[in-house]
Amino acid sequence: MTLQPSLTLRSPETAPLGQGYPLVAVRSLVIRYGSITALHGVDLEVNAGEAVAIVGPNGAGKTSLLSAIAGIVRPADGSIAIGGEPLAGIALPDVVRRGVALVPEGRNIFGSLTVLENLRLGATVRSDGAVGSDIEEVFASFPILGQRRNQPAGQLSGGEQQMLAIARAMLSRPRLLMLDEPSLGLAPAIVDRVYELLQSIRARGVAMLVVEQNAARAFALADRACVMSHGAFTLTGTPDEIARHERFDAAYFGVAMSAERSPT
Amino acid sequence: METAVQTLVDVVSVGGLYALTALGIGLIFGVMRLINFAHSQLIMAAGYAILLFFTQSAALAILAALVAAVLLALLTERAAFLPLRGADPATLLIASFAASFFIEKLMVMFVGSRPKGVDFLPFLAGQVEIAGVRLQLLQIVTIVVSLILLSATTSFLKTTRLGLEMRAAAENFRMAEVLGIRANRVIAAAFAISGVLAAAVACLFVAQTGLVQPRMGLQLVIIAFVGTVIGGLGSLPGAAFGGFLVGAATILLQALLPEELRVFREAFLFVAVAVVLLFRPQGLIPARGMKERI
Amino acid sequence: MAAIPSSTPVPEARPAARGWAGRLAPLVILVVVLLVLAGVAELAPTVVQRRLTQGLINLVAVVGLYIFVGNSGVLSFGNVAFMAIGAYVSALLTMPAAAKGVFLPDLPAFLGQAEWPATAGALAGGAAAALVGAVAGFPLMRLSGISASIATFAILVVAYVVLGNWTSMTGGQNSLMGLPIYVGLWTAAAWAIVAVVIAFLHQESRSGLLLRASREDEAAAAACGVHMVRHRLIAFIISAFISGISGVLLGHFLGTVRVETFYLDLTFLILAMLVIGGMRSLTGAVTGAIVITLLTELLRQAEVGVTVGTTKLAAPGGLGDAVLALLMLLIILFRPKGIAGGREIGWPSPRRPVSPQKLSPQTATRIEETQP
Repeated sequence: MTLQPSLTLRSPETAPLGQGYPLVAVRSLVIRYGSITALHGVDLEVNAGEAVAIVGPNGAGKTSLLSAIAGIVRPADGSIAIGGEPLAGIALPDVVRRGVALVPEGRNIFGSLTVLENLRLGATVRSDGAVGSDIEEVFASFPILGQRRNQPAGQLSGGEQQMLAIARAMLSRPRLLMLDEPSLGLAPAIVDRVYELLQSIRARGVAMLVVEQNAARAFALADRACVMSHGAFTLTGTPDEIARHERFDAAYFGVAMSAERSPT
Repeated sequence: METAVQTLVDVVSVGGLYALTALGIGLIFGVMRLINFAHSQLIMAAGYAILLFFTQSAALAILAALVAAVLLALLTERAAFLPLRGADPATLLIASFAASFFIEKLMVMFVGSRPKGVDFLPFLAGQVEIAGVRLQLLQIVTIVVSLILLSATTSFLKTTRLGLEMRAAAENFRMAEVLGIRANRVIAAAFAISGVLAAAVACLFVAQTGLVQPRMGLQLVIIAFVGTVIGGLGSLPGAAFGGFLVGAATILLQALLPEELRVFREAFLFVAVAVVLLFRPQGLIPARGMKERI
Repeated sequence: MAAIPSSTPVPEARPAARGWAGRLAPLVILVVVLLVLAGVAELAPTVVQRRLTQGLINLVAVVGLYIFVGNSGVLSFGNVAFMAIGAYVSALLTMPAAAKGVFLPDLPAFLGQAEWPATAGALAGGAAAALVGAVAGFPLMRLSGISASIATFAILVVAYVVLGNWTSMTGGQNSLMGLPIYVGLWTAAAWAIVAVVIAFLHQESRSGLLLRASREDEAAAAACGVHMVRHRLIAFIISAFISGISGVLLGHFLGTVRVETFYLDLTFLILAMLVIGGMRSLTGAVTGAIVITLLTELLRQAEVGVTVGTTKLAAPGGLGDAVLALLMLLIILFRPKGIAGGREIGWPSPRRPVSPQKLSPQTATRIEETQP
């Protein structure tokens, strides 16, 4: 069960990455919806090939952060840069052309379109001739998607839809794959398969930013982890440090501190 | 028998005309949740283009109608709707209502509101005999053109890259953008297609009525709106089917209602629509994803 | 992300603490403005006075439309139908029997003989409109916002077709003449004040508040147990009543009723007034009606023309309508909340709290519904 991730490293469609810059750099990011502030000055860096997990309770602002990096939500303050280039002037459809792909919460596959059409849309930003063979590789890895290639994607099970959503995002050949609650609403056995898939994508050097309420799952995948609560990071460090931190639970629910400074 | 066939042809040809109108409206609604009142002005613009050129040649007039409707469609998109990307549907509705009235009133200001006669494609008024039944040539042409355009639009949406992007954007606009689909290009294409459909409707309509006036598209568009609602807002097959249904129903009512009630046929039609909506508030062919969107 | 509202509604600014004096401020101010306006009109030449009277009648129609549109957030294209119903019902009940014998010889006897007093006829006209609103609204209010808006068009078309062809009752396409002309400046002003009071009471009522809550977020309000459909229907019926009254006033101001009057142009005018003034507040509705009445009057003068020396300068006919449509478009593009900006007028205060809207940046687009 592997996606063909060799594709991820040669990305003819995406602009060359600025040397010496982190893949994504978020500085003092503030997000507001009307009078409600969802993020109060968040800093985050994701480097090439690195996997970062963001955990926290519902409503902590995790989705807002991903939405901002994906260009869906515009910051009220602070900045986001992709490969050193500010995101501010980039239109939403061009973010994926910078190598950042999003698998949103709830998957958002196009239910009325066929499985094959969903995958072809994933490759919207590419114009090379390898799209067809990449899609065949997806079908080889996921025979169930192959069997149903001409059926409406809305007829797939939740787990199959999640696989489809991830495969669709991978077809843009991203440098960074962002996932919002990939385990949400799935049975534990299916979650195992989803995380196996993510593990294999990660093994091929694609950077990852995973948002989860299910902290244990995300920690197993990540190099670094951040706990978010009430619109700010309350704890950052390696997954190990954070999981063993005596105040992890408190941090999860909103007490600010930094694991990097605290002895473990 | 002969009347039955004639009525049937009548029903199908008028239904086809409304289906084309509703499809043009449904396409725009599907892609950007905009009910385009100005669709009526696209038909009107095509009508006046015919008026300008029909004396020279029919082909030229048809070409001019296409160009006028497509250009006006793109222009209204640019001027009135592009600045409103991301606005809620009610705001878009008001904008299109205002744009529609603005174009109409501008037209009244420059050409006056009186209808002008156009003897466009006069040979279509002739009769043909098919299997012993005499039918008006225009009706046959209307049916054929409707079928061609409906299937052309369908195959455009089904088989082309742009069509796929359009369907994706219609189902989930934001996700389509996240995948890199350029919304403005897709929307402009949808407007251009709606312009083509409006031009076709205008040609058939002008050939049938022999008149152009600033308000010529209005009645068609209002009934087609109701067709898109009854078919299921946001669903393209629903729009075409609903449009066909309301168009066909007007003719059936005309044929079936007693003489003294015929003048009320639109009233009967709309009351019937309200009854259908009472039982199927999402329309006959509900669009996927519309429920959650509200 | 399945349910992406394309823009986040910003809750309107409401001063946190305001006593009854603050609460009543918009009502008192608007009533005073109307009285002052009528008082000034009293001094104006007859022609101007008539135009302002017509403006006040339109104001009643705009307020009627506002009661539904402003509180529910659903556009209605059907309210002019209620105006028509009000006008015809009142005409049938109050016209002299002799006039009815001439124009409508086929009327049923009880209608032919009826010569009701003006106010009773007006109330009956409003009630008939409200009844039709209730019957038509019952299926339509269940539709989601945008479908409901389009479906209200059906009301307009049905009323137009029925009234325009029911020759024995309405005279069909012909004008119905001989209505008692009792609507002058002060009658119109009095009804305008009544309309403003009813609209204010409705929007401050529990039903009105719940409806506005549902306008901000249909899904959330429904989940909280707001019976949105019921409150929409209540607003629609009250709205139909006031619209019906405005139709009555128009009929008895002009002395004639014609079905053509009550169709798209009037729908456009009333809607434009509401949009330009700001459809999210009563202040906006009243402001729109007043501003557009004055503006239309100026444009009408321009169309008539001014004589400079020996040349007469006149704008082309239809300019007024085109300018109005353009203005409506510009407002929706650049100031979608209209002149009033979605707020009610209040007492002038030196230390007025800054509205949260001013503090917040441009409304962001949300990816999910339940984000903090």
